[in-house]
Amino acid sequence: MTKCFRNSFAACLLILSSCSDLLEPEPIDLLTDDVVLNEAKDVPNVEIGLYAAFRPIIPSTVIAGDCTSDMLINNGTFTQYRELGTKQITSANASVAALWGSIYNTIYIANFIIERLPLVPGVTTAQRNKVMGTAHFLRGYAYFTALYSFGGVPLVTETAIDANRNIPRASKAEILDIILDDYTEALDKLPTNPAGAGFAGEYAVRAALAKYHLYLGHWAEAESFASQIISSNLYQLESSFSTIVNEDFTDEAIFEMGYTLNDDPGTSGTIGLNNLFVGRREIIPSNQVIVALASIESGERFASISFNPNNLKGNDNGWSVAKYGTASEDNNNVVVFRLGEIYLIRAEARARQNKVTDARNDVNELRARAKAPLLPSVSQTQILQLIEEERRYELAFEGHRWYDLVRTDRAQTVMSAFSPNWKDAYELWPIPQRELLNNPALAGKQNPGY
Amino acid sequence: MKTLLELLCLIFNFKHNGLLSMSRILLFLIIFIPSTLLAQSQRLTGKVVSVSEKDGMPGVNVAVKGTTLGTITDIGGSFSLDVQSGSILIFSFVGYKTQEFSFTGQTNITIVMEEISSELNEVVVVGYSSIAKKDITGAVSTISSEGLKNISVNGLDQALQGQVAGVQVTQSSGTPGGGVSIRIRGSTSISAGNRPLVIIDGIPVETGALGARSFGGQNDNALALVNPNDIETYTVLSDASAKALYGSRASNGVIVITTKRGKNGKTKISFDVQRGIIDPVKKLDLLDASQLLSLQREAVTNAGENPDAFGLIKGVTDAVNTDWQDEVLRRAILQQYQVSATGGDENTTFYISGSFREEEGVQINNKFQRFGATINLDQRLTEKLSVATNISLSRSLNMRVKGDNFLDGVYSGAVKSLPYYAPYDEDGFLVGPASPLYAGFPNFNPVAQAVLPRFNTVTVKALASINASYLINPNFILKAQTSLDYNSVTEDQYESSQTAIGGFLPSVGGQGYGVFIANTYSNVDSYLTLSYNRDLAPNQKFNAVIGTELFQNFAIGGNVQGRIFPSDDFTYVQSAGVVDDGSSYREPPHSILSFFGEARYDYDERFLLTASLRSDASSNFGSNNRFGYFPSVSAAWRISQEKFFNASFIDDLKIRASAGLTGNERIGAFVFLGQWGATTYNGSAGVTPLNVPNPDIKWETTQEFNLGADAGFWGGRIQSVINIYYNKTKDLLLTRPYPLTTGFGGIADNIGEMENRGIELTVNSVNIDRDVKWQTTLNLSRNENKVLFLADSIPLYRGYSGEGVDATNIIKEGEPLGSFWGLNYLGVNPATGDAMYEDRNNDGSITNADAMVIGNAQPRLIGGITNRVQYRNFDLSIFFNFSVGNKVLNFSKASLVNMGGDIQTNQSVDALRRWQKPGDVTDIPRYELNSTLNNLHSNRLLEDGSYLRLKNVSLGYNIPSAISNKVNLQLLRVYASATNLWTFTKYTGSDPEVSTLDGSTAAQGIDFFTLPQVRTLTIGINAVLK
Repeated sequence: MTKCFRNSFAACLLILSSCSDLLEPEPIDLLTDDVVLNEAKDVPNVEIGLYAAFRPIIPSTVIAGDCTSDMLINNGTFTQYRELGTKQITSANASVAALWGSIYNTIYIANFIIERLPLVPGVTTAQRNKVMGTAHFLRGYAYFTALYSFGGVPLVTETAIDANRNIPRASKAEILDIILDDYTEALDKLPTNPAGAGFAGEYAVRAALAKYHLYLGHWAEAESFASQIISSNLYQLESSFSTIVNEDFTDEAIFEMGYTLNDDPGTSGTIGLNNLFVGRREIIPSNQVIVALASIESGERFASISFNPNNLKGNDNGWSVAKYGTASEDNNNVVVFRLGEIYLIRAEARARQNKVTDARNDVNELRARAKAPLLPSVSQTQILQLIEEERRYELAFEGHRWYDLVRTDRAQTVMSAFSPNWKDAYELWPIPQRELLNNPALAGKQNPGY
Repeated sequence: MKTLLELLCLIFNFKHNGLLSMSRILLFLIIFIPSTLLAQSQRLTGKVVSVSEKDGMPGVNVAVKGTTLGTITDIGGSFSLDVQSGSILIFSFVGYKTQEFSFTGQTNITIVMEEISSELNEVVVVGYSSIAKKDITGAVSTISSEGLKNISVNGLDQALQGQVAGVQVTQSSGTPGGGVSIRIRGSTSISAGNRPLVIIDGIPVETGALGARSFGGQNDNALALVNPNDIETYTVLSDASAKALYGSRASNGVIVITTKRGKNGKTKISFDVQRGIIDPVKKLDLLDASQLLSLQREAVTNAGENPDAFGLIKGVTDAVNTDWQDEVLRRAILQQYQVSATGGDENTTFYISGSFREEEGVQINNKFQRFGATINLDQRLTEKLSVATNISLSRSLNMRVKGDNFLDGVYSGAVKSLPYYAPYDEDGFLVGPASPLYAGFPNFNPVAQAVLPRFNTVTVKALASINASYLINPNFILKAQTSLDYNSVTEDQYESSQTAIGGFLPSVGGQGYGVFIANTYSNVDSYLTLSYNRDLAPNQKFNAVIGTELFQNFAIGGNVQGRIFPSDDFTYVQSAGVVDDGSSYREPPHSILSFFGEARYDYDERFLLTASLRSDASSNFGSNNRFGYFPSVSAAWRISQEKFFNASFIDDLKIRASAGLTGNERIGAFVFLGQWGATTYNGSAGVTPLNVPNPDIKWETTQEFNLGADAGFWGGRIQSVINIYYNKTKDLLLTRPYPLTTGFGGIADNIGEMENRGIELTVNSVNIDRDVKWQTTLNLSRNENKVLFLADSIPLYRGYSGEGVDATNIIKEGEPLGSFWGLNYLGVNPATGDAMYEDRNNDGSITNADAMVIGNAQPRLIGGITNRVQYRNFDLSIFFNFSVGNKVLNFSKASLVNMGGDIQTNQSVDALRRWQKPGDVTDIPRYELNSTLNNLHSNRLLEDGSYLRLKNVSLGYNIPSAISNKVNLQLLRVYASATNLWTFTKYTGSDPEVSTLDGSTAAQGIDFFTLPQVRTLTIGINAVLK
């Protein structure tokens, strides 16, 4: 009996000796916080992680810019697009939460890099500059998007999680400051020629600065940054607009979000643009935008939409957005900046400074490319109105219209005519309900009207 | 004389086997026994024996009626007592019929105790040992498969429905092989799982869903791989005393299953055949084409638009009128065949069975098939060493169809689809996306969605164990077991270019969509126990077991997807033009290393004490919280064994109390670390943060308290069990929501407390015991659940997103799990026809801030009642189950009575009651295209889900042996059985017993285009060879 006891005891010991291995298995396909960024070879991985976190912001701004405005109407079953399309937006809207979430995911990784990268030994100066510049630039752009989508949002500049759980809204000025600081920091650090338009370079920052100053009405600065890009000759207008609709990484792409077969969002209900526009057709072009794009002034930019008579039924007008292809097609990227927009920024900045002829020339660059009639001589008021229309033709479904109407103070006029449900409150999206619940500093700080 | 009497009694007992009252025979015999003269107080000596203990029964209680006098028989079964003539002696012992004996001066008597019911002496497998039912100190329920033999169920979980108090079994839908949720004493956890631990022959087995791809809310079910006909008994361990020995996995209760084993004797070969038909219990009442058309025209007109411009033209649009439910539903066929052999000699016994079951779904092209083979062998190698092995192999083929929250589902698609379209074109071909007749998003062709895709899930399960026990000496037994539960799941799928995914959605399929997924899940478990068993004194028994166990589970798998196939003749990914998604993974092995011990002490059958302790170490936790300790104590007092107890109509009365701790460790690996996983951007690979580390995360623990009583009356005619319990779960594992400004949605943490309190009652009664034998079994249970505490008091939203509110379900302090959330619907304004909702915060507008808890999915009372009648060769069983007080969210009605939110969905006949002109008083608001105000998520959609259901009726007949013998059969039995034959409910949907979001705890009881239960009529034959 004692022998048996001894044997069983030995068996227990045997199990125990391997116990620590059993109870502390090695993580599989995982890294942990403390080892993810402490050597030079870790840097590119974290940089890619930053881009991956930033990427969904852009399709989300397509939803915001086009679906909150008069460009898109809802045609599907998802509540979030019905709310946006019929202008009955609530703070529980999933698209609203998705944009907010990807903004702060980006900010977290950018802050992580800004805090940790300076401490990592053995990183070359060029690489350190590029990645620090990227972190600042993408963080700045995230705040820019946040500011014009939600207003003054909480200003998060470090990864301290507990502090960021209870953080109040910052003022518009504070957000504008960090955007400008980040862009300025990035401008010095990013290379002129990044590894393709899928990655940010110096001119992506200049484009962002042009847009920043345009939104703030700093016309001279906006014109100046736009001119720097145009005159760099690094980017050329494509000769045919259909290339913009059908291809990725065109000659005029300054910065765009790259998707390949492996990282296509596929059926994602929130940001899979092809699925929303072509597959499920949750959101389709409004009759007004179809008329606009079909006009002679729009020219070849009519190619931004396509028609299928089989879809024509009920309130479905049969038209679809054509700009976003499937994973296996060559037009599944989402553009952040392309030269076409830069011409329009410069045209508007020039028009505001009463350089009407210069402005007209910029617009005509795009009209000529679209095989549309060139603008005749017009007044300053007329050219501003024409630029608003031109932005609609040229930048349709690239996430601009709502932001444009709001920044030019035209939203109330245009949108009231479009939808009886429109109200001033919709000039900003609501802070997601979930944030108000979980961040005590936001209690009672919802945007007015929600 | 004594031996003669004993012998006589034995003969009687054998021959009549309890049909005659033994005590009466004894009295009769005793009259003829010569007695000494009457005296005032005489010394009576005697002996008590029984059939199984012919040499004397120790510990039998001998009391003099009406006095406190009494004694207990010694180890040899003898007693002596001074009694007055004319006194009545009462002999009682647990599990035996209490006997009275009128003393008329005898000096030496022998009393033969008669077993009242084998049930109390039945040995129940609990934890790592077995125990006689009468000695149990915890809440343990056992049901034998014998009572379930006529019911044709797919899985063992379904077999338990309505049978055991405290166990709530809900089939998520009428899909064969589909999800079944089991809750024992409510839900103890929110996110760490609420499924009980299922142990089959000592092997912890996989439960829940196995398939990797979503089918819209309905899952497959790992337990459908186990053939219920191989099962001998089900034992449900409900309180801490019974289950604490399973420690960290026990908080949701434990179901211990033993399979059939061979017996020493002639080999018995048995054949079973069952065949049946299956129909849906109910069809929804929906609008026909012309009713729908006038409704849609009204909705468009109310929105200020011209219905003609929308193509809604009378005589054209409604020219086709398809009843899609009829198109996709059918009468299905069930068949099951089983052959088994059992037998053995004194050293070897065996049970072998082979079975095949095929159950068609009522949705076309839906089918579940299972092949199974089992061999259970027991071999005595030496006097002291015996080994046993169980091997059970099964393979299922589940031909699945999509449903519920899928627009391209079959039943769900059929219910929603507009009647304006037809499934086939003029030439009889299925209408697909390329056809101008194809309705398109969101109305796909539900018939094509059923017939064309291939969703074949093949699951192979191997359940194998080997164990050895060694009798070291009469007191010590050493036992070791190693087991494997291996599940291989292969999902072979192709959606053709004529389906929604394969053809209609270019971003997914484009031109055919093929998927192949393979996963294996294995559980490996080994334990070693040493048990000690000794009588400390004639009336004191002690036994104990100590042991160690290592449980590990492993998962590995991968998937690949392909698109753009040359044609629908090519359906495997090897033929795909684009192979754009694939992955493989291996989960880090999850291990639990445990040490445990249990001791039982029995004093005089009167006082029973059990104490146990288990220590578990789990790899899911960081080093500072890795070990958990789970103690329990319980005690029982058998009042009926006390001398003062002389209520002779009560044979047995035992009260029990237990307290203990159990745990739940089912969270993912490594949440205590801050993890970064892989991601991609633009063709490059990188890393992305996954979670906020929580080094302090620890077990959920449940403190459990149970009070119970077991009583038997009138010679075992009535047996009843009552339990009252209070369970409090602390440190609930849950994602604590963080604002996204942190970069994360939340952190896994121990942030809540929840309680369950309840009462359970079981009564078994033999109402008539003559030629006609009529038995009734009743069980009732009530459980009240409440969330006591959530960190930061922040409610958690679950379920679906509801129009205008945060979600359909909420987890909130002070409210039970399964609470529904929504606005308070105040009806229709007769003047405007618009819906009215309560403005609870009085801010003048209806927003999500006006939402409230509108009801709860948890029933107030559930139960089952079974009546069994036997007369000669006939047996009849009638089984009702019921649920009272539960609410069902008829979420289908958010679409089927949508007040014009869209005109792409068919509507329920309820829409005919809609408001149409000022002054109409109705409960259905005005229809207006694209308006959401009239269809905000409110208690308009919430209904009483109480039901009483005739779950099963079965009638069997054993062909007289005179006939069966002629065809060389020992037994020939025919029977007919019907399930879900009749239901009483006020619920207006198709079935109150459904749950989309299969297995969800926080969002149970939602009917969202969920296939109703089915009615099954079967006939069967059972033959045993001579």
